[in-house]
Amino acid sequence: MQVISLIVLLVWHTDPNPIFQASKKYGVTLNKLDLMKHIVYMFEIEDISRVTTHQLIRHRLASYDQESQRFSAASRETFVVPPSVSSKKESKELFEKTVNQVMEVFEKLVALGIPKEDARYIIPHSIKTKLVMTLSAASLQHIASLRTTPQAQWEIRSLVSKMYELAKQATPEIWNV
Amino acid sequence: MRISILWYTPSPEKIISLAMRRCYSTKPIEEILKELDQKGPEYWRHLLELAFRDKSFDVIEHFYLELLVEGLAKADVADLAINFPFMQFTEFKENLWLVLLNARTLIELWYDDNYKYIAESIVREMKNANVAPIFVSVAFAGD
Repeated sequence: MQVISLIVLLVWHTDPNPIFQASKKYGVTLNKLDLMKHIVYMFEIEDISRVTTHQLIRHRLASYDQESQRFSAASRETFVVPPSVSSKKESKELFEKTVNQVMEVFEKLVALGIPKEDARYIIPHSIKTKLVMTLSAASLQHIASLRTTPQAQWEIRSLVSKMYELAKQATPEIWNV
Repeated sequence: MRISILWYTPSPEKIISLAMRRCYSTKPIEEILKELDQKGPEYWRHLLELAFRDKSFDVIEHFYLELLVEGLAKADVADLAINFPFMQFTEFKENLWLVLLNARTLIELWYDDNYKYIAESIVREMKNANVAPIFVSVAFAGD
């Protein structure tokens, strides 16, 4: 089991140039917040725990499509182990042993003909998942203001920091106004 | 009402297909995109038809359009802003607005008696500019 292997990719983003050209044509100066409402990013997020996606989707001004446990396969190799757990030999072994046992039960339930949508009730929260997420720069800024602070939980802080960095790299003119 | 499309999500039908496949596949994105390229636009159409059949409109939320809309009064904008959370408006000058919306909102406008005229204008411009032809033919088939 890997400790942290989070992947965040920017799939597409709004090209701000047509907006700049139109605003120039009509002699309009857009303030930063107005501009941020009109710029959209779509992200692919992979190898994140369901613990964290539960927190993420509470941010409602975004669109999400996530790997379904009703249909997709679950395997024993796909769990996030928090650094605090993996830092101690005993806690790491206990965590991994238990997850493996639970997944054995999951596999047995499926073998007994229990539908995946029911067998999954036993899967731990730490299972890795994949999703796409689309949101505006304004929405991302709001989420970042809450989730990149030291008080935020480590996995979502790592995720949102990466999204924020990718958005800034892709459209520096939006973030550095 | 005059509408021009300033920008829209590149390959919207492929992006909608990606969102759909994301729900059912365990593969990383590179592999899903490769599969979508190999299978091509007819497959994207097939997935879109399934989404519309099942009313799974979450997947079309990933297709965005940025518009310049002329002939929209402030009162209309107020109503729209209240009723459609994924629609954004910035006033350029009187009756001229920068408008952002996703395709789900477009569908919702289309089936709303009060706002259908706006959706019709947008779809007309999408057809004129050949924007997302597969999406338009699946979403507004029979209209």
